[in-house]
Amino acid sequence: MAVRRSIATMTSAEKTAFANAMRQLKTTSVNGRNYNWYIDQHITFFARTSDNISHAHQSPSFFPWHREYLRLLEFDLQTVSGNPNLFLPYWDWTGSVSPFTADFCGAITNGSVSSGNFSPNWGWSVYRSSIATSFLQRRLGQNASRPTATTVNNVQSYSVYDQSPWNSTVSNSYRNRNEIELHNRVHNYVGGHMGTREAPNDPVFWLHHCNIDRLWWLWQQSRGIDTYQPRTGFTGGVIDNTETMRPFAAGRTPSAVRDITALGYSYT
Amino acid sequence: MTDIKRRDVLRYSAAGTAIAASALVGAQALAAPEPAAGAPEATAGQQKIDPRDFDEIYKGKRIRGRYLLGGKNELLINGKALALTAIPTLFVPEDGRKPYVGIGLISAVNHYDPVEIELSIDGLKKLVRKIVDILGDLELSDEAAQAHVH
Repeated sequence: MAVRRSIATMTSAEKTAFANAMRQLKTTSVNGRNYNWYIDQHITFFARTSDNISHAHQSPSFFPWHREYLRLLEFDLQTVSGNPNLFLPYWDWTGSVSPFTADFCGAITNGSVSSGNFSPNWGWSVYRSSIATSFLQRRLGQNASRPTATTVNNVQSYSVYDQSPWNSTVSNSYRNRNEIELHNRVHNYVGGHMGTREAPNDPVFWLHHCNIDRLWWLWQQSRGIDTYQPRTGFTGGVIDNTETMRPFAAGRTPSAVRDITALGYSYT
Repeated sequence: MTDIKRRDVLRYSAAGTAIAASALVGAQALAAPEPAAGAPEATAGQQKIDPRDFDEIYKGKRIRGRYLLGGKNELLINGKALALTAIPTLFVPEDGRKPYVGIGLISAVNHYDPVEIELSIDGLKKLVRKIVDILGDLELSDEAAQAHVH
């Protein structure tokens, strides 16, 4: 039972253990996956796949798809490290505690992460990069600012989960407002690889998405856990509540991942 | 596909031109081509050159942009192609202006940051400059040329 905590509460030893598990998964396959598998899935399922469905982004399944994606990674990190208590930490980017420190995601935030954690010398390689480099890239604050707590509160106040046309244009949609105003914005705030299709090259991807998942969970606790839309039927081009999300196993539907307690983790 | 057709309608139909012109507050996209570092090549033969096309140097990198039919605009940075995808999206300006829906271009590099080009005289150039700023001293890789649909 993983208890996911804020990076603000982590000890240096916990940060090191997390970084080391990530590095292990880069070079070791467990449960049929390694770290680069996650980058491959992100690139493939960002696009509209041959089933004409947008699984991971710009669609209602944005939240449940990433919830399952994070859960799998957490499980693989526990397996590869042999530590069943290892957890994905979340980065509340409205606060003052940064993940970009020497003992965690690496302290370099403008250009090539050329030394320290997540540099090539440390044992991190970039994969399928659209930028020709062997170094992880960051451009913190160059392209966007961090969302404020006020923006987060505004987004959390949308009561409709999502609605037609179920894409990036929906105005009255908690999913779309979160995806654009919080999720996209932080990808752009970190910049470099975090702004690219292959964003999981940056370990901070998981800390950011863990916070997005936490915000969805907070929203579910006030609006209802079983509130995914669209519910049933065959809505064209999107994942319905009881439809399997690719590339995950059969039965991994939005409905199946709606309750994080049943998935075996919690937030504190 | 619907979205791309909408772009073409906007650009190439008389009605679309009228909409674009009125939204440009007098500035005329078609009237004021910028002087290019090298004359845009008339090679492709697919269509005539769009006056917004460019071929110039920005921060030491050669940037080339071509506006093509079918939404297949082309961008090259030091000869490396960047595949572009048009998506309809909500824009939420950080300066507090009201959110609005438009067509934005994303690529492998600005994947979460669609850039609006239709109602801007130099949208494609803004996009390519943004990419150059992200690249810094680096170049695009072959992965950047891999197209995908949204």
